[in-house]
Amino acid sequence: MIDAQLLASGIIFGLSIGSIFFLMAIGLSLCFGLMRIISLDQLLYYSIGAYLTYSISLATGSVWLGVLAGIVVAGICAFGVERLVFRRIYERELTFSMITSFGILIGGVGVIKFIWGVVPRPVPAPVEAQMSILGTEVPVFRLIVIAIALLVYGAIWVFLNRTIIGKAIRAGIENVQHVEGLGINVSRLFTVTFIIAGSLSGLAGGLHAPLIMVDPQMGLEVLAFVFMVVIIGGLGSIKGTLVSAFIVGQVVSLGSLIYAPLAQMAPFAIMLLILLLKPTGLYGSPLLKR
Amino acid sequence: MMKPLTWWWGLVLAFALVGVLRIFLPLPFIIEVLIFSIYTLGCNFLLGRVGFISFGQPAYLAAGAYATAFYLYYFGTNPYVGILMGIAAGVAVSLAVGPLFVRLRSDYFALVNLALAVIVFYLMQKVLAPITHGDNGLWFLTTMSPTPLLDITRPGQFFVFAFVVALALWAFYKYLDDTIFGACCLATKVNEDKLAFLGYSNFSIRLLAFVIANTTTALAGSMYAIYLGFVSPEMTSPARVADPVVVTILGGVGTLYGPIVGSIAYTGMKDLISRLIGNWELFIGFLLVFIMLAGEKGIWGTLEPLLKKAALRIRNRWRNEVSGRR
Repeated sequence: MIDAQLLASGIIFGLSIGSIFFLMAIGLSLCFGLMRIISLDQLLYYSIGAYLTYSISLATGSVWLGVLAGIVVAGICAFGVERLVFRRIYERELTFSMITSFGILIGGVGVIKFIWGVVPRPVPAPVEAQMSILGTEVPVFRLIVIAIALLVYGAIWVFLNRTIIGKAIRAGIENVQHVEGLGINVSRLFTVTFIIAGSLSGLAGGLHAPLIMVDPQMGLEVLAFVFMVVIIGGLGSIKGTLVSAFIVGQVVSLGSLIYAPLAQMAPFAIMLLILLLKPTGLYGSPLLKR
Repeated sequence: MMKPLTWWWGLVLAFALVGVLRIFLPLPFIIEVLIFSIYTLGCNFLLGRVGFISFGQPAYLAAGAYATAFYLYYFGTNPYVGILMGIAAGVAVSLAVGPLFVRLRSDYFALVNLALAVIVFYLMQKVLAPITHGDNGLWFLTTMSPTPLLDITRPGQFFVFAFVVALALWAFYKYLDDTIFGACCLATKVNEDKLAFLGYSNFSIRLLAFVIANTTTALAGSMYAIYLGFVSPEMTSPARVADPVVVTILGGVGTLYGPIVGSIAYTGMKDLISRLIGNWELFIGFLLVFIMLAGEKGIWGTLEPLLKKAALRIRNRWRNEVSGRR
């Protein structure tokens, strides 16, 4: 059996990976809930966030500044893409947005290859310290990542439940026509949501960069996991996304402790199982129609 | 309606054109186009006729390719038996996952298929590495024995084989369009409630379509295996899952000859652009966005009505001349 120390560090590792997945999946989930689009280009903003963290930390020596720049630039890119591309395809079918955003993702990866090259690059961890939990040494940075994810969840919850824009977004998830009928500028609402989603993906990329190597294909590598998080949680549900992100994180981390190749396989098995029992995911509402 | 001559002439014309292309273009290119168009044919049928977008076609491609490779590497030497193995594997895999998948809504269907492709990738790369040799792949080009009549271990005769298979498949899919089953597939895309009301089972129609389309894809996989003489997990890597969908849309969704036109355009562009700048993803990505914004009809979808109109005009003029002479 696995000893307690390994288990403890495995759980922390799973929670931090789950936090990254959560930050990215929340964008996909919000976009699906409100605009009824599947926005694969979130994975591009993730790569942009990671690469800016790399460049800025190399130039100034501060990783946190890089993360901040990543968030801002990812948000700006999201704004541009929303204005230029998505604005024209909201009315179309769901699969349509999926293909278009996949095009943006591949094209964006091409641009990244053009600017930064194809060689994977390392990013230093901003906090080198280790902390002792239950007798195991755990990098503090992973704990910070988990804390940031929980903070973002809290902030999103407050934003959606306590502000007018947030309430409008929640109402829009239920019924867009009614919100428009109340005189709220839905088109601006969409833009705001898309920028939030893009910035969160950028944040995820910036936080993930010190944990792995930064390379052009990184978005495509996490693509499958983020999909799984969204499917298991149910498209359009924030709470479901958080729960399923941590489930997937734990399965990846603990699965790899038991048998290494399981890390990639086990989450898929769990996803198939959940879809078999509940085709709309854990918290997805069966009423959602396109 | 089913006049044999009018039914066949489009098909014959299209494949005669492909045959003519063989003279002008290098052999590897035209074989790649043929196999790729068979690969896309299944995706095109799923997307255009049944309304399922599948990002998981590489999974079925790999199923066919690996079944062929296993047979040729471990058991036998006859490539034809290998291809039969590939087809059997395609049927088996799609029957295994189909009942689960076709129940899902179209967006979940796309995502679950994508997940399947990734599972197969890791399965072949890591979990089954003792059998599949992981990233090194299986090489069996030299162990294949020459076959009588049509020796498909040689590229020149493989082209003939691929050409015949493609022609047969196109005839089959064209025939499907004319059957009640084809009509039911379209109906399940457009309005499933009405179809159920008419007494058809949405589930079994979708399942049958799913099996047919994915078996076609598996066949393409085993043809790749025979032609290249080697398979590796790279064919189902997450970066390539969108290829068939891109080509389907490039050619024109749901059109009969879309996959051929799309494959020629895609393979050609890939060749040209990778020769020029080596960064063809950038180009493909933005091309995809552009096509989607420009109206999602694709190359053949735009050309077909124009060609039909032109053909009609020529025929009318010819008829007028004939009647004027009288």
